[in-house]
Amino acid sequence: MTFQGYLRPNGQAGVRNHLGVLSTVALANRIAALAATAHGKALLIAGDFPRGLQTPDALLQDQVLLQLACHPNLGGVLVLCHDRRSAQRWQSLMSETGQRFHVMAVMDCKGVKDTVSQAQNHLEQLSAELQSDQRETIPAGRLSLALECGGSDASSAVCSNPAIGRLVDRHVANGGTVVVSETAEFIGAEEIVVQQSVNDTVAAQIIAKIRQTEQRMAADGDHYRGVNPTAENLEAGLTTLIEKSMGAVCKIGSTKFSGCLEFGQEPPGPGLYFMDTPFFSPCSITGMVASGAQLTLFSMGVFNPSGNPLAPTIKVCGNPQTIQDWPDGIDVDLSPLIKGDLSLDQAADRVVSRMIETASGDFTLTEQWGEGQFIIPRMLPCF
Amino acid sequence: MGRITLTVHHNDNVATLLDSRSDLTETLTGLTIASDIAFGHKVAIQHIRKGEAIIKYGVAIGTATADIECGTHVHVHNCQ
Repeated sequence: MTFQGYLRPNGQAGVRNHLGVLSTVALANRIAALAATAHGKALLIAGDFPRGLQTPDALLQDQVLLQLACHPNLGGVLVLCHDRRSAQRWQSLMSETGQRFHVMAVMDCKGVKDTVSQAQNHLEQLSAELQSDQRETIPAGRLSLALECGGSDASSAVCSNPAIGRLVDRHVANGGTVVVSETAEFIGAEEIVVQQSVNDTVAAQIIAKIRQTEQRMAADGDHYRGVNPTAENLEAGLTTLIEKSMGAVCKIGSTKFSGCLEFGQEPPGPGLYFMDTPFFSPCSITGMVASGAQLTLFSMGVFNPSGNPLAPTIKVCGNPQTIQDWPDGIDVDLSPLIKGDLSLDQAADRVVSRMIETASGDFTLTEQWGEGQFIIPRMLPCF
Repeated sequence: MGRITLTVHHNDNVATLLDSRSDLTETLTGLTIASDIAFGHKVAIQHIRKGEAIIKYGVAIGTATADIECGTHVHVHNCQ
């Protein structure tokens, strides 16, 4: 099985050839947005990225921003810094990566209009270089897939998650990579983690991450009961976090975990990986995309809008009411599984088709809506 | 005519409703159930006593906080 993608100088495969504007600090967000809009086709990569983070958070933010700048879905990137020293640091970092890039500092310009205009010039130069990039045939095993759940309900556990699980089994058997996250949603599924890890060390690492999150939630008191399962999970019939986790874990099929990753950490090789992330979709997706995932398979029961601007998000849903109510938000309809009009393998085939079409250039609905944010978790107060 | 339900594991004491026919009071498998139970919600498929485990996927997903009659709704009001 193959797709038509972009082969990068470092050997990675991209499913898009975006021209990105990365705002490395929130001070530069607005200028980055104005430049992206003025260019017309540039992709804005911006977020709540402050100065004054304590060291562990600062290191994570630096790491994730560099990973986003080097993502294989980018054909080129303008790295926008505020000050000259930061721009020099980025210039030095990026020249070791093989990524097509320009760097500029707001403080090297004079006037907001001038700054936007200079940014536009950089983008136009990068644009010209991107023109010659072509898609070529690449084995599907070169894809790293992020798995995500949102708006979970009973149909997630019966339709969308098991179908994705079947796809995961096939993809990893083909030499592919899969990353699953949202640590809180493994609370209660520890038995399965133990059975489905390649060795005891991996199982212990993942269980330790689950325990850590569970302890934090317990320390926060009963308050967390109103947070996960969420209000829409409860309305949809999921009663407890364990029930939600047992449904969520169907996403991994019968594949075993090869390793445990920190937020944003790149997998060391092919296989299925657990990544320790918060359960909030935009944040967990940011971590998996930063690690190199080129697209996300997003399992939905009731509607959830989440996506990511840099990596296409394929919305997969098995709830007939949601399919009826949100046709402009769902890419793959698996509701026939409920009545037995579709087998699990046929359902997996549907998701695989959409995955290959998307990887080869078809836009998903979340991309058409420009949906998604970049959110990096923070542990400590800012100075 | 009856409601579509799913019992995931043979040890489960609840089943999940997978249609929106909340007007019906019988499942396709012949169990009498309460009306007004929404798509995705659970019904007890046996009598469950207060303090007993609610079993789904073959594991305890919660505990009954009250006695639960067979065929009635299982959710936050009687399961924690």
